[in-house]
Amino acid sequence: MMSRGVLLFCFDTEHTRYHKILERCVRLVKRNICREITVITNFSTYKKISPMGFINYKFIEPELGNKLNGRAWNNVDRHMAYELSPYDTTLVMDIDYFCFSDNLKQLFDTEYDFLVPDTAHDLSGRNSFDQRRWSMIPMVWATVLLFKKNNKVRKIFDTVKYIKQHYSYFTEMYRIYSKHLRNDYLFAMALQQITGSRDTRSYHSHCPHCHQTARYSK
Amino acid sequence: MDIHELKKQSDLSYDTAVAKRNALEKAHSRQVMAYREHLFRADPTTICLVRTLKESQDSFYLLDTNSNPVEITDPAEFLSVLVERNQESLNAYHQIYKTFTKKDA
Repeated sequence: MMSRGVLLFCFDTEHTRYHKILERCVRLVKRNICREITVITNFSTYKKISPMGFINYKFIEPELGNKLNGRAWNNVDRHMAYELSPYDTTLVMDIDYFCFSDNLKQLFDTEYDFLVPDTAHDLSGRNSFDQRRWSMIPMVWATVLLFKKNNKVRKIFDTVKYIKQHYSYFTEMYRIYSKHLRNDYLFAMALQQITGSRDTRSYHSHCPHCHQTARYSK
Repeated sequence: MDIHELKKQSDLSYDTAVAKRNALEKAHSRQVMAYREHLFRADPTTICLVRTLKESQDSFYLLDTNSNPVEITDPAEFLSVLVERNQESLNAYHQIYKTFTKKDA
């Protein structure tokens, strides 16, 4: 029996209590995705997390140094999802992605080795996602991605690691004008590289998601 | 109409328009469904195509949402699943849409 589960990364920073967001996210995953959950975190964050039922934890020390708007942003460990996941098929999600439906659940029932959304819908109606028009490659949203453990997918993650090492070179080459490291860019560039700069569409799924600044209610 | 009333009306119209757009997007998103390990969109185009092909063939080939070819061996079952998902998503959209109509009135 192939194992299937959800992998989440959560590291508190000086300014943001991500564990609080994790608690909300886990509740929704349990209700709507109904799969086993593994949380990648560090011990200092783990100590603050309220009991949430059966959850697997793996401890790592997050790679520091990345910043967003001048504040620490511990998001650069996503490239290790392949090694850290205990599942044959893994759904990786940002913890600030709240799944209010079971739409993602059906992605487990596909034969795709690797799925990542290529579109995002801005709930605020401001098209705030359309900021990457200078980029030479189709972008993807690593907010949610599904992968199976096999040789092909391992190579994708190896490529992500390689691009991360030479991030400034690749962002310059693909005209991605961003000072900070984003997983969206890493995976977009990796897919572009590994497919020989050809159409990456066979990897994509369709999965609208909400921008952090979206206004939910008044 | 004073300026405050106008602003209130304008805000309401904007919020309703955004909410309508989101509800429609939600319906479209819900129409994406997994069938025999592939993803399909339960939209009118797919439903019409499947129904047309089903009339003359017991099995046929379709492209999934990522343009990968898939053999459909049980068209009746597939059509039934497509219609069910299509109507489920549109029914939900209809329910939300009715609330917008009430607000507009």
